[in-house]
Parts: sequence; structure tokens; C-alpha cells
Amino acid sequence: MSLLADSAVVETARALAKPALFNIYFALASIPLGFPFALALAIGRDSRVKLIALLCRGYIYAFRGSPLFIQFFMVYSVMLAFNLEYWKPLGIDHIVLHPLFLGPLVLVLNTAAYGAEIFSGALKAVPSGQLEAARAVGMSRFQIFRSVTWPNALRIAWPAYTNEVVFLFHATALVYFTLPVIDNQKDLMNMAGELFERDYNVFLHYSVAAGYFLVISALIFWLAGLVYKRLTRHLDPQARTGMRMRPNYLR
Amino acid sequence: MDTPVATALTLSVSDIHKSFGDTAVLKGISLSAREGEVITIIGSSGSGKSTLLRCINFLETPDSGSVTLGQHTLSLDANHRGFDRADRATVRALRQQLGMVFQGFNLWSHLSVVDNITEGPVRVLGMDRKTARDEAMQLLEQVGMETRADDYPSALSGGQQQRVAIARALAMKPRVLLFDEPTSALDPELVGEVLKVMRDLARTGRTMIVVTHEMGFAREVSHRVIFLHQGRIEEEGPPGAVFGDPQSTRCRQFLSSVL
Repeated sequence: MSLLADSAVVETARALAKPALFNIYFALASIPLGFPFALALAIGRDSRVKLIALLCRGYIYAFRGSPLFIQFFMVYSVMLAFNLEYWKPLGIDHIVLHPLFLGPLVLVLNTAAYGAEIFSGALKAVPSGQLEAARAVGMSRFQIFRSVTWPNALRIAWPAYTNEVVFLFHATALVYFTLPVIDNQKDLMNMAGELFERDYNVFLHYSVAAGYFLVISALIFWLAGLVYKRLTRHLDPQARTGMRMRPNYLR
Repeated sequence: MDTPVATALTLSVSDIHKSFGDTAVLKGISLSAREGEVITIIGSSGSGKSTLLRCINFLETPDSGSVTLGQHTLSLDANHRGFDRADRATVRALRQQLGMVFQGFNLWSHLSVVDNITEGPVRVLGMDRKTARDEAMQLLEQVGMETRADDYPSALSGGQQQRVAIARALAMKPRVLLFDEPTSALDPELVGEVLKVMRDLARTGRTMIVVTHEMGFAREVSHRVIFLHQGRIEEEGPPGAVFGDPQSTRCRQFLSSVL
């Protein structure tokens, strides 16, 4: 019995391996774009130029205030509506309407809004003394941002941003609920659903799919933890930038 | 110490007014410093000492008044509405020549001691890293912190952090050093090491303006003492006169309460 269960688990796991790559792709494609976009929105939402602040705040509100699921439907239907007029004549309809493009697009739009709130809070939480010291040596606003504000803000934002990355990864499960599967490019949810419909095993397939999410999330937590350790190394009273290991008699 | 009489005027600050809401904190303060002069500003808390110092390098924007240092002048009249681009450039130019040492040290926590010192010269003055580092090591030696160059500020005591902060201010080669209660956040046993560094600086002819509660320092080291009361200069003169024979009642009361 246990042998049978084992082999069924292994079989499902094997069937889900390639689909998992699609979820990983959606997340990996979204984060490098979502990160700078989030930072730009975070800076823009507190811009002294009223119009910029208003636009950024409106954007953040719209994408944080509505379900991601609806955002997928909306973007897809709008993009479809433009097809005959724009995409097809330009010959880019295959790219622009492809799930491998639209999926990351929506995820970027969404994660940028959440990330913006995280960065915005972090930027405001930088201790004012740190900024005053930078102003006092005559740094320009950009120099202050680069030398002092950003290194501090990134450290403050990191735990919350890690959360956002994991949420984003989990949100990749939604992509194919809206978008069509092309050329057998199934993700974890498609494949788990398909396997379920074959044998109606209510425990097995979705559990293994969840297992993939758990394992990859653990990997994200681990990597983010390494980065966090690096970002906070100055808070460790033992830390030095020079010699890592000093013989005891040198102390 | 002897007052440097014949030296040139370095910094002049005139008619500074500053209010926070309805509270007028500075009611028209003017002062000037000659090269090599050490001025201490004393007064009870709330008298406007720190605000005055912060108005000199525009960490606080005065409501009106002007600051002149070298060829740079920034005047603000009562109708000004913030800084324009040219004003901001002047503010930066003034700040580069006004080293500031804070009560709370304000070392950049994510940078090592030596990087704290080189950051300003490298970014603001465009100095190359190698030169900046060599100069930083010399300054660290001067403040007795050369063995801690690679430590992060969190590993240092308050007195050590403040000495590094002084080195950081010196690294910009400022014409005037501003000290905002540099020993007030320190444990009593750490005050001495910071005052010693400041004494050495005074002795080597640094122009310094020091807001302090250390009356001993004010009496021994400064050339001129300014007593601030309710946003005005109430008494001013060489330490011997101010401490020995204060003219104003307020000043006498203040001194008798702190000495």
C-alpha cells in the first residue's frame, strides 16, 4: 500500500516538474521589472509635483484595491480588444497576447503597487539623523538617496518585500485561470487539475502541487535570508569589514 | 586662550529669525567668527542655541536672515518661499564649508568607520577613493580611532562614535566647525575623550562654534562666550568677563544654576 502511494506521489511529482517551471518563469520574469517599478512609484507617490503624486497614488490604489484575478481578466480582454486594430497590423499579436507575455505583465503591474507601499514606508522610516548628517556634508538630494536613504530603506523593506515576492510566486497559480494554454505550456495548476480529472484522487495531485510551492517558497525564504544577513551585517557588533577572523590574541 | 584679533572674518550670520508655529525661537541674532576663533554658545534649554546652529547650515530654514561664508552668501527675506535651484546650490556650498557635529553622532550605520569619513569627500568633493582613504586614516589617527577603521559604528562607544563624527566633519576640510551639544548624549566618563579632541582642534587654530553645557570647556577653551536667552543674545564677551562678571541678571542666574 505504502509502496503504491509512494509511486503515485513520485509519478505526480514527475508529471508536475515541467509545469512548475512555468510558475517559476512567471515569478522570475516579473520581479526584476516589478522591483524598480515599485521603487519609482514609491518615490512618485510622495512627489512634490501634485500631478505625479496623484497619478502614482491612483495607480497604487487601483491595483491594491482590486482582485488580481480581475486584473488578469481585464488586461486580457482589453488586449484582445485592441488586437484587430493594433497588434495584428503590427504583426506582434503572437507576442502581445501570449500568456508568457501577459502573465508577467499583469504580475508586474500588480506587484509594483504592493511593492510601492512597502518601499514608501521604508523610505519614510529611515532615521532622520542619518539624512541630516548627509545634508550637513553638502550632499545633493540624489547623493543623499544613493549614499544614505536607499541602503537604509532597502534593509528596512527587505522582510516585507520578501513576503511580497512569495505572494507573487503564489499568485502565478492564477495565470492560466484566465489566459489560454498554448502549445501544452501548462503550469502547476493546469497539470494538477488535469491529473485530478483522470482519477479523482482528491488528496494527491493538488497536495503535490502545493508541495512544489512549499519547496520553492522555502528556497525564496532562504535566499532572502542570506541577503538580509548581508543587509544587516553592520548591526552585528562583531562585524568588521576587514579581517573576518582575527586570532584572539589580536583583540 | 588669546583671542585672535587680527585674523580675517570667516563666517558672518546676521539677523536670523526663526519661529516654529507661533513660537518665536530666534528673534534676530547676528554673530560673526574670525579665523581661528572658538565661540561657545550657552543658555538654558529652549533658549534657541541648537536652532541657531542649525540655521547657520540651513538644516533649519530661517524665516529671515543671512549667512555669509567665503564668497557664498544666502539671504532670506521674510517673504521667501523655500529654496530655488540656485539657493539649494548655495546651501550645499555653504554646508561643505561648515562641518557639523551632532549631539546624537549620526554616523551612517551601514558604513564602516573609514567609509563614514570618505563618503563625503568622495561623493561631494569628487576625491578619488585612495586619497580619501589615506586622508581618513590620518584624521582617525588625529582623533585616536585609527585601530577601529573597519568597524561599524554599532561596535563603538558613544565617545568613540563622536570622535569619528568629528573626523568625518574634518574630512570635508571645512572652514568652520559647528558642534551641537557634542557631549550631551554621552555617559559622563566618555565626555573627557571628546572634549580633549575638541581642545586639540581649538589649539590648532580651528574656527569653531560650540553649543554646549560644558561650562569648563567654555571657560577654558573659547575666545568668546555667547549667552542666549529666549531667542536673543543676552550677554557676550570673553569667558573671563562672562563667567567672572556677568552683566545681565539672566546670565547671572543661569550661571549660578549650572556652576
